[in-house]
Amino acid sequence: MDELEGQPDQLISFDVVVDGDDHATVRIDGELDMSGIDPLAARVDQVLSKGITKLTVDVRGVRFADSSAIALWVRWASAVDEFELLEPPPLLRRVIGAMGLADKLGATA
Amino acid sequence: MSSVESVRRPPAARRAGEVADPVAAGAAPRERSAGVYWLPVATLIIGLLVTGVLVVVSHSQYVSNEKRLLGLRVKDAASLLAESLPATEASMAAAAQQADDTHGNVQRFEQLVTPQVGTKPTQWLTLSLWKAGALGNGPLAVVGVAPKLAASPAVASRFLGAAAHSPTLNVIGLLKAPSLRIGYAFANPTQPGGYVVYGERPLPANRQSRLQRTSQFAGLDYAVFLGKEPSEQNLLLTDRARLPLPSPSASESVAYGNTNLTLAMSSRVPLAGTLPKDLPWIIAVLGSLLTIAAALMTLRLTQRRRGAEELAGRLEVTANENERLYAEQRGIAQTLQHALLPDRLPELPGIQASARYEAGEEGVEIGGDWYDVIDLDGRRLLLVVGDVSGHGLRAATTMAALRYAIRAYAAQNDGPAEILTKISRLVNVSESGQLATVLCATVDTQARQLSLTSAGHLPPLLLSNGDSRYLEAEIGLPIGVQEGIVYRSTTVTVPPEATVVAFTDGLVETRGENLDRGLERLRAAASSHDVGLPELLGRLVSEMGNGHSQDDIAIVGVRWTS
Repeated sequence: MDELEGQPDQLISFDVVVDGDDHATVRIDGELDMSGIDPLAARVDQVLSKGITKLTVDVRGVRFADSSAIALWVRWASAVDEFELLEPPPLLRRVIGAMGLADKLGATA
Repeated sequence: MSSVESVRRPPAARRAGEVADPVAAGAAPRERSAGVYWLPVATLIIGLLVTGVLVVVSHSQYVSNEKRLLGLRVKDAASLLAESLPATEASMAAAAQQADDTHGNVQRFEQLVTPQVGTKPTQWLTLSLWKAGALGNGPLAVVGVAPKLAASPAVASRFLGAAAHSPTLNVIGLLKAPSLRIGYAFANPTQPGGYVVYGERPLPANRQSRLQRTSQFAGLDYAVFLGKEPSEQNLLLTDRARLPLPSPSASESVAYGNTNLTLAMSSRVPLAGTLPKDLPWIIAVLGSLLTIAAALMTLRLTQRRRGAEELAGRLEVTANENERLYAEQRGIAQTLQHALLPDRLPELPGIQASARYEAGEEGVEIGGDWYDVIDLDGRRLLLVVGDVSGHGLRAATTMAALRYAIRAYAAQNDGPAEILTKISRLVNVSESGQLATVLCATVDTQARQLSLTSAGHLPPLLLSNGDSRYLEAEIGLPIGVQEGIVYRSTTVTVPPEATVVAFTDGLVETRGENLDRGLERLRAAASSHDVGLPELLGRLVSEMGNGHSQDDIAIVGVRWTS
């Protein structure tokens, strides 16, 4: 299962891959803010409803994430057994740290 | 003294005069409609002019080329004609010489010329021998038919008399009845006054003769005239039923005995082929078609451009309308936002409080940012600044719920840590997708103490004596992440006349910039201003966002007056 969504004027693209019985990887690129998170949230909810318990969110290509994006990741983190935010760029890691969410989001370097 | 500084924009005015006048909007295209046609018409005129010039040039080129080619042909033909003369002259010269040698021996003359006389076109009709001194007596001998010349002795003696003294072949001219003939006379130039040989050659009955098809001159009309005048009475031969020859024609005169032959020719078919002849027509037709096509295309493009201009005009009207609606919606959002924020801040002795709220550039929706300053007991204030993730009514209602819950728990005398612990039950990210960062601090106006609790919120800035630093406190999880979380507070004592500024992330966050750089810019900006608190907050908002922050900004500050 592999798809690419998002709209060009929203500067965001994402890709959700179920790569195991219970594991999925979400790759996000671009600037993620409130205006662009609905399709992403819907797509991941769809995957989560199919018994995914381990989620890796690849945010290496994320240049900006607002609080709604971070709230979305927190919601995912609460919804699965294992959650990993894969290699957030320094800008993102700083924001996550400022919100006290580094542990919660399992942000790995 | 406390104050609330906020930017309120008046609701977008909707006055009749601001709405684009449809009559005025429609007038411009009508004014332009006359201009739609001038370009195609100009294209048509220029194209036809160019075509006309090309037609004229190609036609005159064709005509001059034909003339040149015809002239060459005539020269060729004339020289061929001239070549026939020596043969004529030779046979007569031989007879004249013999007559001189034999003193007019008639038998010898007849013997010599008889083979040359006959009815074939190449033969003489008649050849006769005359004595130069006795021309009036008629011919000494005649071979063939009676010479026409002999019928009029006066003419014969005048003509042959002249010929007797002429060194060249004499051409008498045309003799019409009974059949067309041309008369020649020759006398040996070395024996003037001797014998004169006279002959007549036939011409075709109507002087018409066709050139053979295979001849190099096939396709040409011609007329041969005796003398230099190409007039009808001098006509020797032609292939045409009527003269003059059709134009264009060319003529060439060549010496012929004592006179001249003039050859006139015109061509029935184009000498350079049919293409040069047809080229002007081809150019005229193609040029006209291309011109018409170009004019039509120009017309279409012009109309299309006019259509695009009209569309642009309509879009502009729509854009203006959108802008107006945007301003209106933005005005509504801000009005609602301000309704959810405190009208006025409490005034306590020894401390000044001020706040500002600035909607972001994209803020057509109400935001989730808020601030609050609550009088706890006349001595202490509760300073709150928070930010619910997202925008719109959902964020605003969550924000309002949190704000009033905090007020309620504050009224119960709960400290910042207890308050945040309690309100953490109000939001659940797994249910609503929302979370909120909140900074809550009790401000002791007399002890100059600050008791801070942060739920994932940015730290407040402390300004004192021109120096500034962030007050680091333990950062707990944002509200909504984990139910039952217990927050802790950190207490700090600030110097006299210190200023503490709390804010939401819109003030320091710029896309693509590290948060630390934004925080540092704010710190530097805050320490560079020694102004009143409301003024300071205003300057920080305008300098940090450069007036164009994308996100909403809430900023609240307190300043100890002693």
